[in-house]
Amino acid sequence: MSTADQQAPRSLAEALRARDDASLAALLRARPDLITPVPTDLTQLATRAGTRASVVRALERLDAFALQTAEALAVAGDPATWDELLALMAGDARDPAVASALPGALTALREQALVWGADDRLRLVRTARELLAPSPQHPSPTGLGPSVREATAGMSPGRIQEFVANAGLPSTHDSVSAVSALSSLFSRRRKMAALLAQAPAGSLDVLERLVWGPPYGQVTAEPAAHLRWLLDRGLLLPTAPGTVVLPREVALHLRAGRAHRWPEPTPPAVQPLVTHRPQVVDATAAGQAYTALTTVEELLKEWDEGGPAVLRAGGLSLRDLKRTAVALDVSEPVAAFWVELAYAAGLLASDGEADERYAATPEYDDWLERPPAERWGQLAEAWLAATRTPGVVGGRDLKERALSALGPGLDRSAAPEVRRRVLTLLAGLPEGAVPDAEAVLARLRWEHPLRGPQPQGAAGPQGSPPAPGAHGPYGSHGSHGSRGDEDLRSRLARWTLTEAELLGVTGRGALSAHGRALLGAGAAAAARPAAGDPAPAGPGDRLPAHHRFVAPAATAPLAAPEQAVATAAAARLLAPLLPEPLDHVLLQADLTAVAPGPLRRPLADVLSVLADVESKGGATVYRFTPGSVRRALDAGRSASDLHAFLAEHSRTPVPQPLAYLIDDVARRHGHLRVGAASAYVRCDDESVLNEILADKRAGALRLRRLAPTVLAAQADPATLLDGLRAMGFAPAAESAEGDVLITRAHAHRTPPRTAPEPVPDGPPVPDGTLLTAAIRAIRAGDLAATAPRKPAEDAAPLGPGQLPRTSSAETLATMQAAVLTGEALWIGYVNAEGAASQRVIAPVRVEGGFVTAYDHTADEVRTYPLHRITGVAELADD
Amino acid sequence: MSCLIVQSDKTLLLEVDHEQADACRRAIAPFAELERAPEHIHTYRLTPLGLWNARAAGHDAEQVVDALVQYSRYPVPHALLVDIAETMDRYGRLTLSKDPAHGLVLTTTDRPVLEEILRSKRVAPLVGARIDPDTVVVHPSERGQIKQTLLKLGWPAEDLAGYVDGEAHAIELDEDGWALRPYQKQAVENFWHGGSGVVVLPCGAGKTLVGAGAMAQAKSTTLILVTNTVSARQWKHELVKRTSLTEEEIGEYSGTRKEIRPVTIATYQVLTTRRKGVYPHLELFDSRDWGLILYDEVHLLPAPVFKFTADLQARRRLGLTATLVREDGRESDVFSLIGPKRFDAPWKEIEAQGYIAPADCVEVRVNLTDSERLAYATAEAEEKYRFCATTATKRKVTEAIVRRFAGQQILVIGQYIDQLDELGEHLNAPVIKGETSNAQREKLFDAFREGEISVLVVSKVANFSIDLPEATVAIQVSGTFGSRQEEAQRLGRVLRPKADGHQAHFYSVVARDTLDQDFAAHRQRFLAEQGYAYRIMDADELLTEGA
Repeated sequence: MSTADQQAPRSLAEALRARDDASLAALLRARPDLITPVPTDLTQLATRAGTRASVVRALERLDAFALQTAEALAVAGDPATWDELLALMAGDARDPAVASALPGALTALREQALVWGADDRLRLVRTARELLAPSPQHPSPTGLGPSVREATAGMSPGRIQEFVANAGLPSTHDSVSAVSALSSLFSRRRKMAALLAQAPAGSLDVLERLVWGPPYGQVTAEPAAHLRWLLDRGLLLPTAPGTVVLPREVALHLRAGRAHRWPEPTPPAVQPLVTHRPQVVDATAAGQAYTALTTVEELLKEWDEGGPAVLRAGGLSLRDLKRTAVALDVSEPVAAFWVELAYAAGLLASDGEADERYAATPEYDDWLERPPAERWGQLAEAWLAATRTPGVVGGRDLKERALSALGPGLDRSAAPEVRRRVLTLLAGLPEGAVPDAEAVLARLRWEHPLRGPQPQGAAGPQGSPPAPGAHGPYGSHGSHGSRGDEDLRSRLARWTLTEAELLGVTGRGALSAHGRALLGAGAAAAARPAAGDPAPAGPGDRLPAHHRFVAPAATAPLAAPEQAVATAAAARLLAPLLPEPLDHVLLQADLTAVAPGPLRRPLADVLSVLADVESKGGATVYRFTPGSVRRALDAGRSASDLHAFLAEHSRTPVPQPLAYLIDDVARRHGHLRVGAASAYVRCDDESVLNEILADKRAGALRLRRLAPTVLAAQADPATLLDGLRAMGFAPAAESAEGDVLITRAHAHRTPPRTAPEPVPDGPPVPDGTLLTAAIRAIRAGDLAATAPRKPAEDAAPLGPGQLPRTSSAETLATMQAAVLTGEALWIGYVNAEGAASQRVIAPVRVEGGFVTAYDHTADEVRTYPLHRITGVAELADD
Repeated sequence: MSCLIVQSDKTLLLEVDHEQADACRRAIAPFAELERAPEHIHTYRLTPLGLWNARAAGHDAEQVVDALVQYSRYPVPHALLVDIAETMDRYGRLTLSKDPAHGLVLTTTDRPVLEEILRSKRVAPLVGARIDPDTVVVHPSERGQIKQTLLKLGWPAEDLAGYVDGEAHAIELDEDGWALRPYQKQAVENFWHGGSGVVVLPCGAGKTLVGAGAMAQAKSTTLILVTNTVSARQWKHELVKRTSLTEEEIGEYSGTRKEIRPVTIATYQVLTTRRKGVYPHLELFDSRDWGLILYDEVHLLPAPVFKFTADLQARRRLGLTATLVREDGRESDVFSLIGPKRFDAPWKEIEAQGYIAPADCVEVRVNLTDSERLAYATAEAEEKYRFCATTATKRKVTEAIVRRFAGQQILVIGQYIDQLDELGEHLNAPVIKGETSNAQREKLFDAFREGEISVLVVSKVANFSIDLPEATVAIQVSGTFGSRQEEAQRLGRVLRPKADGHQAHFYSVVARDTLDQDFAAHRQRFLAEQGYAYRIMDADELLTEGA
């Protein structure tokens, strides 16, 4: 490599510039957000890679150990050396497991452009450092506190000299050297041990309590002697009245150098819990796959004649879901799964009519025609790729709106990836092996740990900082819609395990052969831990062309053609396992028919009309009732058809009671006839009616003779009367009761109506409170608009009502300066709705893209996202 | 291809003609309730009660799962297997037992379960002090109550607290010229081994003898609860004949007589008689130190008797019945208070062994006359059934059937006294109804038995436990609406084995296209499900044939 002897890079951009194409490609693959839109040059790429949003995203995608490594770098010096990092990660004891995994993790961080620089000058990207370094607002998962230097910033030099003296160090002439003397003392194991050996009883217990974090503790105004001793030597440093912190160096000494209590260098193994015979697994899965097909068919058949209505907000009402669950004889969450599956597979959709309903799509009819294995393949493929997650149905979204099946808000972008990952983990096990669900979850958590305090480190003493703006500080998808105490990924993984079982991808908890095939050829290989891969030796800044860290390929969905091949392979494996449809049933004298297996479709269709289904599963039990037989007769079959049908398809003689039932119902079927007519003509004289029927002019009236003395007409009574009059008859209209109707003019009236309310002129007079509030708002706005301000150096003077405009860098700098000086600023601000306003604020803190400030306009402390601030101007001093 | 299909709704379909059917039936019978047994495919159902019955009988979830997996034709849904294991696992987490120091205690092998049930408001009043984390004292008087409550909570307790021996009384079976049938022996043995419980045998399969066998095992004073006085007499008669007991040792405790003897037969009716809000005859339960309590026709056990039974949990209890189907759905009370099912034999199987007579069941459909149809159409809802059930055509049909079987012993059974009186008149046969005195009833029964009378018209008083050995034909003209168990009982009248091996005939005369037909369908369901296929005949067919 030609770059080996080049100078050490001085910035991330330079570091990137030194990387080869493959390595850059790996970076962009891992962080695709960096190329949307495509950056113009590497400097821009580096800038973008350092933006908060992108870094957060990258950090969230790290595995537990890489994240721990990044966290360790955040508490190490900047730049840090390899040895420093190794000490933090592996501790003084140099844990060999950690030491051997560390180069890999570092490579991963480098590849992701989160760390750059050679081994002697490892630099964590500044944004990442800000995110991961401990601060009172964001306690670090390491549980470490600020370093001595940070914690003593702002302390009086006299105080610092006291610490130095008390710790037994020679006094120095300035605070800076005093602080460094103190921190180097704390960092020296032997000297520190000697110092602590002198500690009075109880002191060490206090340190012990704080050592693994949170590092903050409360002290009273008059601390006890053992606390005093610690405070005197700077082993505990005051942060605020009544609060002390354990400096990082002391904590590291007590932790034997380790930044993490439990470093997790290796992913938790997913081991088989029990192992079934692969044949049993495949058979069970195939059985379930068949059930999946029948369930979807049944669902859509249920909705065949007008499915449930679409809610106005979209989705299926809870009542309809319940009804569907009852019809399918499953629980509601499972019903939601089937409905969503059919939707994802394109088999059902809203019909888009004015009175919107769900119905099967034309695709469904095509689907029905395919062989069962292919139909399953289509469902499984749709399931694997879907981002819609039926599991959240029944929960509520962030705005407390209920999430309904088929409704909006069900998409979870992590779903396909988690699904595939869970399945690949299963695929990594021997055939027929069932893993412990908890182990799978632990593995997934390792691969994508939730950023935030470690579970064992209780919430920081200050509590969590007020969340600025609407979204959480990391804008993570993790909290979206999650109401349980489990994070979304874990819940997705649990759902995946359940759904895979329902769909027949797994059988009795183990991945079936067809399930394996569905994942594609590479899945099994990718699932095995990359332990076999040699860890890159000598982690230089350049990456070897072989990149170990590419998020396991199997979690990335296959491209469409590859998936189609995999699905077809799965269907081929499944096909022989599916039961062969039968062409016969067993009829019994208790008026039931049992189909001892799936039936051929025409047979099943007829039978489901002729009889009610009583029990489903491998077999189907039908019961004949008068109602069901009538249904068959209504469908246009005759009694003899039915007899012939039963005789043809029954393995056993048709029982006499059944034959009797059919005949009995058929005998009465159609005895009464019902039709619609809109008017009738009645006459005691049959010859008059004959005459009317014979008259050509009566054709338009569409008359039909019902009885010798009655004609039914399709024309309405008025037309009929006119028509008959035109033919020279003198008909009289008849009321519903049969009386002759007498027509006479009558007055037209509206239904009951109330008199209109008077509309007063202008709005009502406002009350006192409203007036006061309004005046205050007007005055505050006035102040913001008219406050004399220093003219910006190069900007044209602003007209009244115009927002100040400055570049974001300038805005930030001005803000930071204002925090130090405590000055009030005049800003232009665009709120979430896009409305611009001017405010006068006194910034208190600038951090993580947010300004916390006292807002003079609103008279309270508020937090503003920096990107919403159009510009800033200083107020004129007066 | 195996013979069993496991459905996702927890029914099991067994193909009876399959060569493995027998083995499979034996494997699944302990835990699955036979629901329907028509000719080709029997339906069994997995219920929590059934699974707990199996646990009580010493089967574990693994056996159940193995049996299903082994015989199932299609893969068994995983969820079902998990559910079975979970359900079965709930039984026996709690046990009731005797503690030498504290008396009756409830212990658990799973502390959270105990915590859960102790939180329940319904359990709290039934238990006393907590002895240790896993044990809590139960008031001895609440032994039945707590079992009932725990079952409702889904944590059935295993009762290992044992039984009092009761006052000893020598009872032996007097097996002279007869012997207990193998299945009766098995039933007695299962019951005795299990301590308490229910034996399910078809009518005519000799339940009384199972009772006698149990008494001979217990050898202690026994209280027998039966449905009515006639049945009480028959028990007494049978016991005197089949055991070493003498007339003097057996007391009858009924409306007319109040005898308390080492073996006392009491009717449900007298026990549940209430005067001024109290049950005056309850002391019967405490009047002796009973060692065994026998419940005849458990499926008819009236609700108050359940309440008394809850207080009798320290005594052995044997329930006898032809069906556990209760129209009121209190099967779970039977399970918790009397005990789990200890023995069950399908009707057809015992028939196949020749212990009950095969029967030919026929439904005769009669048409209403035009005027009757109009009357039926306009009748008030509560009168409708009466109108159609008592149509005059039924009389003609009944006469035709009686003519056809002239010379055989024929019972005509009905619901409406007017109809029966009219039939009695036309058939020239005596009528037994509610107002007939017991003496008169027995006289008529004797005459019928002796063959002096060949046709007897009976109202529903004869529904239960009368023993008419030579009745070979029963004609049902009306019934108590759609009662399935009444139909089973009535069929039972003709199922006792006939001396000459005659086939039994059961005719149900039904008015076509009316409520009567709907009720008949409902009534027949139990029997049809037990494998008794009804033939259907037109009245005209029968009438022309008879003419």
